[in-house]
Amino acid sequence: MTTPNDLPLQDLVHHDKVHRSVYTDPHIFDLEMERIFGRAWIYVGHESQIPEPGDYHEALLGQQSVLMVRASDGRVHVLFNRCPHKGAKLATLPCGKLGKVIRCPFHGWNFAHDGRLASVPVRKGYEGTAFDESDPDFSIRRVPRTGSYRGFVFASLAEDGPDLETFLGGIRTSLDNFCDRAPDGEVEVAGGVFRVWQNSNWKIFLENLNDTSHPMVTHESAINAARDGHSDAEGGMPFRLHIIAGNGEPYVFWDELEMVAFDRGHSYMGAIFTPPKDPVSLAHIAALEAVHGPEKTREILSVQRHNSVIYPSCSPHSSFQQLRVIRPVAVDRTLVEIYTFRLKGAPPEVFQRAVVYANVVNSPSSNVMPDDIEVYARCQEGLKGDGGDWVSLHRDAGRDRFEDGRYVANGLSELPMRNQYRAWARYMSGEDA
Amino acid sequence: MGAGAQNGQGGLPDIRSIERFLYREARLLDERRWSEWLALFAEDGVYWAPLTHDQPDWIDHASLFHEDALMRQVRARRLEEKRAWSQQPPTHTARIVGNVHFDEEARWPGPGPGQGPEPRIVVRSTFHVMEWRHDTKRLLGGFYTYHLLPEGESFRIALKRVDLIDREGAHEMLEVFL
Repeated sequence: MTTPNDLPLQDLVHHDKVHRSVYTDPHIFDLEMERIFGRAWIYVGHESQIPEPGDYHEALLGQQSVLMVRASDGRVHVLFNRCPHKGAKLATLPCGKLGKVIRCPFHGWNFAHDGRLASVPVRKGYEGTAFDESDPDFSIRRVPRTGSYRGFVFASLAEDGPDLETFLGGIRTSLDNFCDRAPDGEVEVAGGVFRVWQNSNWKIFLENLNDTSHPMVTHESAINAARDGHSDAEGGMPFRLHIIAGNGEPYVFWDELEMVAFDRGHSYMGAIFTPPKDPVSLAHIAALEAVHGPEKTREILSVQRHNSVIYPSCSPHSSFQQLRVIRPVAVDRTLVEIYTFRLKGAPPEVFQRAVVYANVVNSPSSNVMPDDIEVYARCQEGLKGDGGDWVSLHRDAGRDRFEDGRYVANGLSELPMRNQYRAWARYMSGEDA
Repeated sequence: MGAGAQNGQGGLPDIRSIERFLYREARLLDERRWSEWLALFAEDGVYWAPLTHDQPDWIDHASLFHEDALMRQVRARRLEEKRAWSQQPPTHTARIVGNVHFDEEARWPGPGPGQGPEPRIVVRSTFHVMEWRHDTKRLLGGFYTYHLLPEGESFRIALKRVDLIDREGAHEMLEVFL
């Protein structure tokens, strides 16, 4: 397979640099939708978003609209959002209630929550025709594979491939810690969802999630604005300023962070905003200790991570209960959905702090995000030009260490980006990363 | 009548005095005169834009904006920082405020200054903000709800609530105050 610029696909990605066309070429974007988003396990939604039978949540698997539906027996199904009769989309809200059956708004075909055809009006008109209600072509098509890990629902458009747990591999620990922080061991989506447009390729955002050498530069304006007149010494800065100003830590701080990557493009970085011993954290600790005792509580809270990347579709922030979901829309346009979660069994102020984090960091009105979005868009524009063909991934290249089934590096290393392109190249060559 | 809507106390001011206040506020924003705009707020005043149509409060739910004096200052300072990359070029706005009327039904949405006994005037209006930056022009629209505290001949803002009509949609960045 060659690309329009006549470079074979495998020559676009080197271990320490990638060709600019992977960000700008619509043909490559289409191939990514087929070979990456059409194969990998893609995040759909969380089971807590559909508590009752008939509840649904709409999601995009690549370019495909799908519905995550709760059936009467409690099972979760992921269905293509298309009536098998004339093709109408069956639901159009981000989430809602379908009722006892899924009813097409066009000609009234009814379906069970698992997609099976339940009834069609004026049945006798189909007698003696090739219409066959037991033929799957007359039911809503189900996505080939659906899986749930601790309530996080993923789906794959491929009939075969690794199961969900194998796919997640070592990055499971980020979802585990996300849930283990709840005294009840479970989380639920709450407090609304932000949807934010980025005028840039989806990979630029994914690469930025563990890019530790950008915050002090990109976010200088927000850091200065938050620091003005407020000292962060001894945790004296209000939380909502701390999570802005923390971006301004010196390079040595970032280089000492844990940086870990796994096969299939997954990675995480160590926490950068460690909550001080404030009343909210103390109440959280007390609630965990009441269930687990002090030793297990210390163990849970010793896992302190900033962004994790579950390649290619989502990024959990386990310390502050955020999940960012990446929905590529076009080669230069990406929708990011940001969900906040409640730790079941934790005091209300823990969730309220997660809401503050969402407002300050992940809202479209964030003082931090606009400079990210701006530089992503500048990359997208810049990469169109003939000013150079390659994007550098050289920082600490060749120094990644493989230990105990994971890759580790110093905090400023571009290991996570190199790791993402290792997976990219495998998916794009038709393998399962 | 909801908590905090106390328009009846001591009679309502002339609606023209309210309009003058709102038009001046709009002008301060359109001219990026942030420090003068910040000074319009009561000390514990709140600037709030809900994220959903039925959002009850700003405590247990994310908001498009939820800013006290501290966070309003951070935004105002950031917009003028020389390395605010996303303000190169800066955002320009022009807004129209209309349909200004007293709103007896408006409810105070959360804890804060709205719980106090001080007389307050609740005003609602409709707005359009035309915004331009770089190569993009967009039109934002919705409703403003103000809880105003009379102060001499003018008012201080206890709450400015902005209900964007598309608040539940997908958004480009919202950088300047609406």
